[in-house]
Amino acid sequence: MKGGALELGAASKGLAPKNAVNRGIAILDFILRIVAIVGTLGSAIAMGTTNQTLPFFTQFIRFRAKYTDLPSFTFFVVASSVATVYLVLSLAVSIFNVVKSDAQGSRVLLIIFDTIMLGLLTAGASAAASIVYLAHKGNTKTNWFAICQQFNSFCERISGSLIGSFAGVLVLVVLVLLSAVALSRR
Amino acid sequence: MEKGDSTTINITSESSKERKGKAPLLAAPVMAATTNTREDGGNKRGIAIFDFVLRLCAMVAALAAAILMGTTDQTLPFFTQFFRFQASYDDLPTFTFFVIANAITSSYLVLSIPFSIVSIVRPHAVGPRLLLIIFDTVMVALTTAAAASAAAIVYLAHKGNSSANWLAICQQYNDFCQSTSGAVVASFIAVVIFVFLVVLSALALRKS
Repeated sequence: MKGGALELGAASKGLAPKNAVNRGIAILDFILRIVAIVGTLGSAIAMGTTNQTLPFFTQFIRFRAKYTDLPSFTFFVVASSVATVYLVLSLAVSIFNVVKSDAQGSRVLLIIFDTIMLGLLTAGASAAASIVYLAHKGNTKTNWFAICQQFNSFCERISGSLIGSFAGVLVLVVLVLLSAVALSRR
Repeated sequence: MEKGDSTTINITSESSKERKGKAPLLAAPVMAATTNTREDGGNKRGIAIFDFVLRLCAMVAALAAAILMGTTDQTLPFFTQFFRFQASYDDLPTFTFFVIANAITSSYLVLSIPFSIVSIVRPHAVGPRLLLIIFDTVMVALTTAAAASAAAIVYLAHKGNSSANWLAICQQYNDFCQSTSGAVVASFIAVVIFVFLVVLSALALRKS
């Protein structure tokens, strides 16, 4: 009986620091999620509010640039918005992980959805990035003209909106790593 | 005197009964633990084998994407005095990035096969699985970036863009367009397989 009580005491001592580190990981996860929300929301808003009209126009067309003119940018706004909504919803699961530090099922769920969102957000961000690159440099072989030379503020806005999205991608990678490390600690 | 003998006999029989009662109690939890870890080991080994097979498929997909895009070179049969109408992957920097990224992905997959084999042989080892999940996540990001940026350019090549005055080059360069579209599809297949690999590693990392 005494031996059993000693063993129990040792087990509970070993449990406490492990749970404390897992709780620390969960708190860091929560903070990073908020950072990612700010990044992706900022990206979606920055790209979604692009609207530049050049001061000259001909009789037939106005020279105007909006994000809806390029389907890649539309996809980028949609992907960033979906990522923002998912991150907001996953805050609840993250708080649950902080409260119950040895939860495993919720961490696996978070890893699955974080990876899917990572793919979606990276796809949107890199599709927009390749179009932004084309808008800056143009391409002589395909006769694609660099539209940034005319639409300056539109170009600046679309280039800047990529930053928040790529920051969100980086944060999502770190979030998956944190969840994996917390899962694997025994 | 006889009563004392009978009581001693009774005591010894009771103590032997108690001993018999205790032994199975001690043995039972130990046996339960070993059968649990054995079943769990079987599950984790199954997951690791599936992981290995998926890794091979992803390697084939990424390699196919890199090769398909890297060997594009279409020269149109007509030409003017000043230049030949030629399209190859290095005319567009995005496609160059695509080829390089997919080459990195397929070499990473080749290098990660030993770790996958280690996690088949030792199902309870945490180290190789953790390493694999970390690098698989980074590879998801890299491969998706390459595939999506090339997809945006391929879409532009197919449809053109009237607002930006960008002509759809696919109308002239048919083979080039087909090769690049096929390469993008293969790369997206590799991305989906990578997502499955991350999920499998996460499931296998759980405590028994």
